[in-house]
Amino acid sequence: MTGSAPLIGIVGSGIAGLRAANALLKCGVDARIVILGDEAHRTYSRPGLTKKRYPPPDGIEAATEGLKVPGVENTALTWHLDTRVETADLRDRVLRLSTGDTLAYDRLVIASGVRPRTSAEGDRECAVHAHRTLRGLDDARSIHQELQKSKKVTIAGAGFVACELASLAKEYGCEVVMLEALRHGPFERILGTTTARSLRSWIARNGVTFLTGDAARNMLCDGAGRLAKDASGSKDAYLEPASDRSLYIEAIGSVPNVEWLRGNGLDLSDGVRVDEYMRVSECEDVFAAGDIARYPDPWTSESHTRMEFWKNAIDTGDLAGKSLASSLGYDAKISRIKYFPNMVTEVFGLRIQIAGNPKISDSMEIVRGDLERPDHGVVVKYLREGAMVGAAYLDRGARLNSLYIELLTALRAR
Amino acid sequence: MKIFVDQVKCQNHGLCAISSPDHFELDADGELRYQESFDEENIDEIEDAIDSCPLQAIALNRDSA
Repeated sequence: MTGSAPLIGIVGSGIAGLRAANALLKCGVDARIVILGDEAHRTYSRPGLTKKRYPPPDGIEAATEGLKVPGVENTALTWHLDTRVETADLRDRVLRLSTGDTLAYDRLVIASGVRPRTSAEGDRECAVHAHRTLRGLDDARSIHQELQKSKKVTIAGAGFVACELASLAKEYGCEVVMLEALRHGPFERILGTTTARSLRSWIARNGVTFLTGDAARNMLCDGAGRLAKDASGSKDAYLEPASDRSLYIEAIGSVPNVEWLRGNGLDLSDGVRVDEYMRVSECEDVFAAGDIARYPDPWTSESHTRMEFWKNAIDTGDLAGKSLASSLGYDAKISRIKYFPNMVTEVFGLRIQIAGNPKISDSMEIVRGDLERPDHGVVVKYLREGAMVGAAYLDRGARLNSLYIELLTALRAR
Repeated sequence: MKIFVDQVKCQNHGLCAISSPDHFELDADGELRYQESFDEENIDEIEDAIDSCPLQAIALNRDSA
């Protein structure tokens, strides 16, 4: 190392890593900052990858150009893109990179995010399907291109990515089948069975075949070309000529990218455990932020939580940067994480908004509307022992938006 | 300094209206309405609204008086 300025390594070039760097620069930290990213792209908007409508006629390139997130240009900051961190020695403070180089750091921010969970690894091609997952910009480009060609698309999963993709695929004119073997409909784990059923019928009304239970299981593909369970023994019936392969997209959750941290005595059971200031308890010079950070849940005060949402990555990235600055003696005014979970999606023209933590509720109450007709507007309250812990809003348009915001104001102040 | 919303990027998700209901709102059709001007004391909630947008459609135009 040259000079006295410490070197801060940030592993991950997504929004959490970028915001950590921004926070350090805003605090006036005199350090060299290196951001390492395994993608070839600078930070971009991940939600925009599936929320983006039909790309304009001048192509996907133009559509994705609009997703770039502007970052600070500063001589203290160096980007190492297309570079994966293979291993880390947190005791000696050294990273070993895919380029063969090593990087010695003084402080480290872990923001390496998550990757899609898949039922099968490998070349993602089988006799029946072209297998795809969606996490990054390159995945999104290739899926958009294939949706334009594919007539038949199978989507495994019923979360945000799955629902938004189904909606996009229909816009491209595809025939869409969604498979959710474990539950009754979209977002069931968050919003409960009644709401999930309502969303399922909304999706079905928009021309998607939505299969659950055994019907869904029978059509899952294990990646080797076999359909996972085919009790009828007529699996050949599904086989199609290679030239007409169906596109099979898995959107069944994600896996934290923690492998490079193994062997350092960290708790990696689900991401990287940090305290409410994003500090890794076992190493005082290491911080974590974004999808990978598992922090004390400000909403239940009894467990740790890991959130995979854009604003969470921003807030925890900011906080990790400030905590790091504070650890170097800078006045960074850190305050413990106080996250207000709050998300939105649009599925076949239906706005779906969720706030708070409905997952921990024990009952629900319809504030307005009828779940049989979500497109006419429904506001739902989620309660735990009688107190509101979450809210959801479904609508075409936003007729009940002010009512929903009123509810959130109460939820926030709880 | 004024608020600017890129109407091409905006998809009326309305998260800004949750962060800063005094400056952003969705009308009955679900279209975003917003106020360009704001008081400096509200800068935190405006920045929260900017960050919340899943499409990065909101910006502050620092050259505007």
